[in-house]
Amino acid sequence: MSTVAPPSRRPMDPAVLVARDQEDVLVGNEIIRHKLSSRVLHWVVAVTFFGCVFTGMPIWTPVFGWMAHLFGGLTVCRVLHPWLGVAFFLSVLFEIFDWASDMRFRSDEKGWWGPKLIRYMRWEEVDDENVGKYNGGQKFFFWTAGLGALGLLLSGLMMWFPQSFPKILMQLAYLVHDATFILFMVAIIFHIYLGTVAEPGTFRSMTRGTVTRKWARLHHPGWYRQVTGEDPRRP
Amino acid sequence: MSLDIRRSSASVWGSASGMRTAQVVSKYIDTTTCIGCKACEVACQEWNDLGPVATEQVGTYQTLPTLHAEFWNLIRFNERDFDGGLAWLMRKDQCMHCDEPGCLAACPAPGAIVQYANGIVDVNPDQCIGCKYCETGCPFDVPRFSATTGKMAKCTLCVDRVSVGLEPACIKACPTGCLHFGTKQDMLELAKGRVQQLKGNGFAQAAVYDPQGVHGTSVITVLAHGDHPEYYDLPVDPHVPWGVKLWKTIVRPLGAIAIFGAVIGAFGHYMNHGRKGVKGADAHDANLPDA
Repeated sequence: MSTVAPPSRRPMDPAVLVARDQEDVLVGNEIIRHKLSSRVLHWVVAVTFFGCVFTGMPIWTPVFGWMAHLFGGLTVCRVLHPWLGVAFFLSVLFEIFDWASDMRFRSDEKGWWGPKLIRYMRWEEVDDENVGKYNGGQKFFFWTAGLGALGLLLSGLMMWFPQSFPKILMQLAYLVHDATFILFMVAIIFHIYLGTVAEPGTFRSMTRGTVTRKWARLHHPGWYRQVTGEDPRRP
Repeated sequence: MSLDIRRSSASVWGSASGMRTAQVVSKYIDTTTCIGCKACEVACQEWNDLGPVATEQVGTYQTLPTLHAEFWNLIRFNERDFDGGLAWLMRKDQCMHCDEPGCLAACPAPGAIVQYANGIVDVNPDQCIGCKYCETGCPFDVPRFSATTGKMAKCTLCVDRVSVGLEPACIKACPTGCLHFGTKQDMLELAKGRVQQLKGNGFAQAAVYDPQGVHGTSVITVLAHGDHPEYYDLPVDPHVPWGVKLWKTIVRPLGAIAIFGAVIGAFGHYMNHGRKGVKGADAHDANLPDA
């Protein structure tokens, strides 16, 4: 008599399993950086943002007119863009509530808008041993992105209903929407660059939710100490 | 008459089409001989197959408070007290067909607003995306959004009639001869003669309204009170709004350069500095899991 073997299932990666609802904990050799809900929220923000980018840029300038073909024409873009914009703002709002407590500036994290950012981009050590879960640059990006989303929402609402506002304010709204978008886009390009090729090991924190010990020691030594209780600069 | 295009909205380069030279045409409106009969309003509605528009009483003879997506030609009735008594000022309001059209400058949809070589500024509803930018761009508050079609609409200067050698419907209907149509040059001559007459008749401030802020318009208006265009609901010094110019001619190209520049900058940074951590002692393979 022979028995049929049960279908073999590879055991689930324990770190990924824990990352469904916990973060800032060590599982094996991995540290959980972003719990599942934060990751989902981040990708909702990303998808709505790029929805806005690809529906807005062909309206912005004919140089990017080809993007309109992704949606079936410029009129479709005009109809979709404001709704995607509202969805983007709402998801940013949720993300702000999700991350606000981790994003409070410490007193030693000033100056990231300029001098420290330049030093950081030269891969020099900034704020050194004390860099927590997020460095000053990430916090600066987080809050300016939130402010930018608000600027885009307010100017965008005016552009959606131009008849409700004086023409002089409408001119301002177009300029604010444009300038904010340009700064936002430049920042996002560097956000993606830093999160992928420039700093290997970062992208997985937004997919599986985990990072390696080495990654944490290098980029966020203060956070590493806090999570593991070990000295991040051990010999 | 040729319908070659001089300018087309949202074109990056070379929107002018055709090699024929066309004379710039113009409407001539003499407000001093307008009797407010509204024949031009009716003719406009009829020729352009525009439906009736519900109105509201604003205390004057004016058909509607303002222009409408289905009402492109409106006689405005203004009353003013002067020392010599009351003046009843009537003025035909419609698209002014600017030589430098603010609507066209603001429009983001390729070919939705065109300016023909003969100066007529026209809308292509099939290209219009209904974004309403043109409303902000227009210094005369003319373009109107139609909730029915989702497109903007305005006076076409009867380009369909002009192109086959007819005069615009409003001109044809005018019973007093206060409206004329022809080349801009001829209309300016006519207007100058009329202004001289008016000056001789005691209207020392009479003038032709052909605002140079938008490089002149293809609708020129003779005003008895030429020093006060605002008496007729006309802007004193219309021009393409500074915000629209700044937006389209400076912020937008700089922005496009900044975005391409950021991509190139990130790539350059990678070539120059590489990945973070390579310089650090601990970090040589930061991307690999700990052993």
